[in-house]
Amino acid sequence: MRAATARGAAAARRPVVWLAAGVVAVLVLLVALPLGGLVRATVGPGADGAWGDVASGPLADALLWQPLRGSLLVGLGTGVLATVLGAFLAWVVVLSDVPGRKVIGVLAAVPFALPSFALALAWETVFRNDRVGGNPGLLAALGVAVPDWLAWGPVPVVLTLVAHYFSLSYLVIAAALANVGGDVVAAAELTGASRLRVATRIVLPSVAPAVLSGFLLAFAEGVSNFAVPALLGLPVRFQTLSTRLYGAISTGDAERGYVLSIVLVVVAGLVLLVGNRLTAGRSYSTITGKATRARLVRTGAARLPLAALAWALVAATAVVPGVVLALSTVLRRSGSLDGGLTWHYWVGESDPSVAQGLRGVLRDPTVLDALGGTLRLGVVVAVCAVVLGALAAAVLRALPRARALHATVGLLGYVPFLIPGVALGAAVIAQFGAPTGPLPALYGTFAILVLAGVAASLPFALQTARAAFGQVSRELDEAAVLTGAVAPRRFARITLPLVSRGLANGAVLVFVTMVRDLSVVVLLVTPATPLLSMTTFRYASEGFTQHANAITLVIALIAVTATLLARRLEPGRKES
Amino acid sequence: MPSRIRTRTRTALAAVPLALALTALTACGAGSPAAEPDTTDWDALTHDELVERAQEEGTVTVYAFTSRIAQVEAAFEAEYPGIDVVASDISSTELITRLASEHAAGSATADVAYVSDAPVVVTELLADGVLVPYVPPRVAGALPEEYRSPLVANRLSTKVLMYNEEAYPDGSPVQNLWALTEPEWAGKVVLVDPNVRGDYLDLATELSLRADEMAAAYEEHTGEALVLDEGVEDAGLQFLADLYANDAVLVDDTDTVNAAVGATGQAAPPVGFTSYSDRRDNEDEGWALQVAAGVAPSPGIAFPAQIGVTADAANPAAARLLADFLMGDDSGTGGPGFEPFYVAGDYPTRTDVEAPADAVSLDELGAWEIDPEASAARRGDVADFLLTVQ
Amino acid sequence: MTTLALDGLGKRFGAATAVADLTLDVPSGAFLVLLGPSGCGKTTTLRMLAGLEEPTSGRIRLGDRVVADPAAGVLVPAQRRGTGMVFQSYALWPHMSVRQNVAWPLAVARWSRADRTARVTEVLAALDIADLADRSPAQISGGQQQRVAIARTIAPRPEVVLFDEPLSNLDARLRVETRDLLGRVHRSTGATSVYVTHDQVEALALATHVAVLRDGRLEQVGTPTELLERPATAFVAGFLGNPPAVLLAGETRDGVLRRGDLRLADVPGGATARHAMYRPQDLRLDPEGEVDLDVVESTPAAGDHLVTGLVPAVAAGRAGSGETDAGPQRITVVADRRVEPGTRTRLRLPAVPAALFGPDGARL
Repeated sequence: MRAATARGAAAARRPVVWLAAGVVAVLVLLVALPLGGLVRATVGPGADGAWGDVASGPLADALLWQPLRGSLLVGLGTGVLATVLGAFLAWVVVLSDVPGRKVIGVLAAVPFALPSFALALAWETVFRNDRVGGNPGLLAALGVAVPDWLAWGPVPVVLTLVAHYFSLSYLVIAAALANVGGDVVAAAELTGASRLRVATRIVLPSVAPAVLSGFLLAFAEGVSNFAVPALLGLPVRFQTLSTRLYGAISTGDAERGYVLSIVLVVVAGLVLLVGNRLTAGRSYSTITGKATRARLVRTGAARLPLAALAWALVAATAVVPGVVLALSTVLRRSGSLDGGLTWHYWVGESDPSVAQGLRGVLRDPTVLDALGGTLRLGVVVAVCAVVLGALAAAVLRALPRARALHATVGLLGYVPFLIPGVALGAAVIAQFGAPTGPLPALYGTFAILVLAGVAASLPFALQTARAAFGQVSRELDEAAVLTGAVAPRRFARITLPLVSRGLANGAVLVFVTMVRDLSVVVLLVTPATPLLSMTTFRYASEGFTQHANAITLVIALIAVTATLLARRLEPGRKES
Repeated sequence: MPSRIRTRTRTALAAVPLALALTALTACGAGSPAAEPDTTDWDALTHDELVERAQEEGTVTVYAFTSRIAQVEAAFEAEYPGIDVVASDISSTELITRLASEHAAGSATADVAYVSDAPVVVTELLADGVLVPYVPPRVAGALPEEYRSPLVANRLSTKVLMYNEEAYPDGSPVQNLWALTEPEWAGKVVLVDPNVRGDYLDLATELSLRADEMAAAYEEHTGEALVLDEGVEDAGLQFLADLYANDAVLVDDTDTVNAAVGATGQAAPPVGFTSYSDRRDNEDEGWALQVAAGVAPSPGIAFPAQIGVTADAANPAAARLLADFLMGDDSGTGGPGFEPFYVAGDYPTRTDVEAPADAVSLDELGAWEIDPEASAARRGDVADFLLTVQ
Repeated sequence: MTTLALDGLGKRFGAATAVADLTLDVPSGAFLVLLGPSGCGKTTTLRMLAGLEEPTSGRIRLGDRVVADPAAGVLVPAQRRGTGMVFQSYALWPHMSVRQNVAWPLAVARWSRADRTARVTEVLAALDIADLADRSPAQISGGQQQRVAIARTIAPRPEVVLFDEPLSNLDARLRVETRDLLGRVHRSTGATSVYVTHDQVEALALATHVAVLRDGRLEQVGTPTELLERPATAFVAGFLGNPPAVLLAGETRDGVLRRGDLRLADVPGGATARHAMYRPQDLRLDPEGEVDLDVVESTPAAGDHLVTGLVPAVAAGRAGSGETDAGPQRITVVADRRVEPGTRTRLRLPAVPAALFGPDGARL
């Protein structure tokens, strides 16, 4: 009977219903309408039988089935491995007594702040063989024969993406683990179970919503990432839906690309459904009113091996790619030490013999402009997305039995990941570019960037918010209800402080994605609203690798700083 | 060289209906409620009149597929003080999507577009009336017909076969494209996946459009007539199928091709299709890229960078003035407006501008010049074919 | 202080009925214990009183105020019922100190700062946790957390205090201590209290009124003595008391309740009886007795011994009377000596049982 939880009195419920309607309306506006536009584009007269081409006929295998297999392999591989690694590191950092765990915690958040191509680059630096030609990787240069399967194709693609996205799982799971009461762990240890068993059978399941969120985020990022499969997969003709759909869009067959992205949305929707089924009906609250001290697990003899493993992981995924990226900005010749080192790309004056006279990035006023715009956009979008995500999560929590609402919000809050950025951008222009209802034409304004950014980053905001809310026992709110406090006051004084850590993590994720890759806003950025990611993109496509990487490094530094700041700002509960 | 002879000879008469159609499109685009009907006969204005109108407008926004537009911006503002250029550079794919979306939403912000990817531009932008052509009268006389319509082009870029001149100091190791389908080059031909990048799809498409030349080259190379495989329509597609079957290496990016082919210190470097003009980075990057000029039947394609005015341009005069500026001045090298594009390996379209030194001439290169419309009509089928031979 | 009345209260979750037709009245200042096994609907009832669940039928009155009456569309939200609740998990807000936990409800109720400080000090002192005021909940023991939870609940002087199995998380000694504390708190505040438990020892120790629930229905409500002395149903008789009453099942034939061949009691007035109830102290262990007993436990208690054993099944009487449930029954009796577990002995029954219960469980 406890499972049937309070819905509060009818009068109190009214505002929640209105709020739910509001949240759904915003989601429809931001997500469903663009998605609808995408679907319409694939069935209209201009679509030229795109569905038929993709789903049946001689092309279906190359367009759909093979890439679908590739995407599932990459998505599930990335999701599972990233979650395993993320959970492991979260456990090490939050619950174990492994030396240097604080630093590991900082470094584990770094890979997500790095661009995925930097990790792919790091992989190539080590494992590249002579399949493509050019300069060999480290191993090949040492005379080690690197087989193709290790240098190219699904294995390096998955591992690179895992190295990139385990940060996501780590951040989400660590936030949840920090709230697991010490005696949950103690109780399990007293049964005589091994520490490993306690960690995998008791601790992790108690943060199951966070684990699921971490998996879903990594899965979606894995299937939608284009750069890594294109870089490491194409040479052995390993295709995913993302490479196929970007290819279709960039060779002028946008409708076919949209069809593929709809397939991607459906596939991911199924994964979301299965994931929710698997974890349905469990009670996850780990922040209960019965507080216990968080307590560290003594790892004993395993302490040093665990430390070595954790350190090796963060070194391989954060330090090495970071150093490779940093080094690439001071190489006179891109990707090669032969030309020597130079600071020119950072601080050099215009020199016609280098990079067509492009100044060093720190001397370039447009870069500084773009820096300001980027920070502003990142902060505004992070705040808006997290507020929306928190409202949605709060509404879902307040109406636990509104199944249709849960399904709608869950799906709409997840699919933006899977709509290719260019398509989402185009849909946003179509929708908000012209005056609609009370809204003026927003094209070329900061507001439209924010709208698109919020739409695109909703998955982070919503998944992290739901994980955060899922951790808070309902009784804490009910205890506040009985004091007579009204809903907004309870939310502000009780629930919000308890979910703030999770929300802060969500905000950082959103901020980081916004400052980092902006495929969504690439169509929306006008000269009036310069952004760093646009500048990188521009330089990269012109072959000014060092300039592009220098800006990428700046972005990564901003992202890491934001992550660290968020840690600082967390309320110090349970610490003192 | 024979391949330089244009296969497409359009008479002046044939251009008339096209021009009419485009005028209709222009009227259509300008007829949107926001804009006043544009009845100006731009071609009749003198240069000074155009400048005067442009200065009244005071600003012009350009979307370009190259960052070199920043240099054009500076040069233009120096030449025409009082006209502010707002330049935005994004990739051709995004530029096309963006112009189309803006047009559909009635919120155009660009006045002029400088864009590659001609086949898509023709089908997505020109056909829908998003862009209208403008041939600056000043340079019209020095432009061959195919660079005047459907849109004016100021230069040609290339995607051609390149090799490593350090490893092959005696010239191209390949004399005939069909050699690339033989065991000697198995796994040693690098190109960007044509199903991912439009310019490489144009290259593949051109091979199909030049099927007769490909068939002839096969016979010349092997001494036998080419027999097509079942389901393969022509010699160009047969070449692509054989190339893929010979383990051609597909990558995601031109720079990857450059590094793979060009990196010095390789014993047996691959060959690959890339931009001739990237050879200018040899010294900076430590490459030894050289073009396989004269390979039979052709080393690859040359394709235009086109300039169009948006149908709903807020600054129609300044837009046309910028288009005029991009075509270069009357000096032998095109002057400051063309300077950023005056690089070895790219080719000016104006017959009165000398091609840059340090590169073989377009004739010697022997690249096929693409016909955007023919290419647009064929590329979908070629893309589909490539999907089936992966 | 206020009276509390439930009138035909019901709660359904979809097709499942959690609480059905619950009617009871308790006077102001009473300490009502809702007692019953897990799943009997007691917590749901408590949450409906608090306003955390909506009843689907019936009515709840606090004093002269109707706070829930779904038929009339009346539903006073939890915030405005003036009830306080101590949760099973304590539900302390982990981000607030002990003092803040206790003070916040007062702030919500718009107490002045001075009143707040005074009241918090007073309540913390009353519960003997004044020195923990600035600790966070994570830094104090379970028993201390329980006291904080109680302090927080009573600080605003609610008219009705609700307790949801508040002692179930404590060890035996703390449980007794805290039970005493709760009794003291109740006497000093005088607030009408409702207390949910499955532990009849707690119930009998604290309650002025006990309501026994089973499968969502009220079996009996009354003072602890009433329930012990005159259980209204066989269930209550078998559930309450330490040890509870002994119930022997049998079958009524020709106005006589029999267990197998054993004649248990005369059943007057043509009624049908199913169970005969005996007080544990009225049964004697006697090898010459009428009923076999297989001893399983023998526990010393207050100078006597509580002997628990199984009364073996008897063959179901006449063919066709399959209703008779005469399977093995576990009973506990009070004996003056220890009996070795594993042995068989016999019970001597008094001539007349203390009560008879019909097939529906109701007392005859």
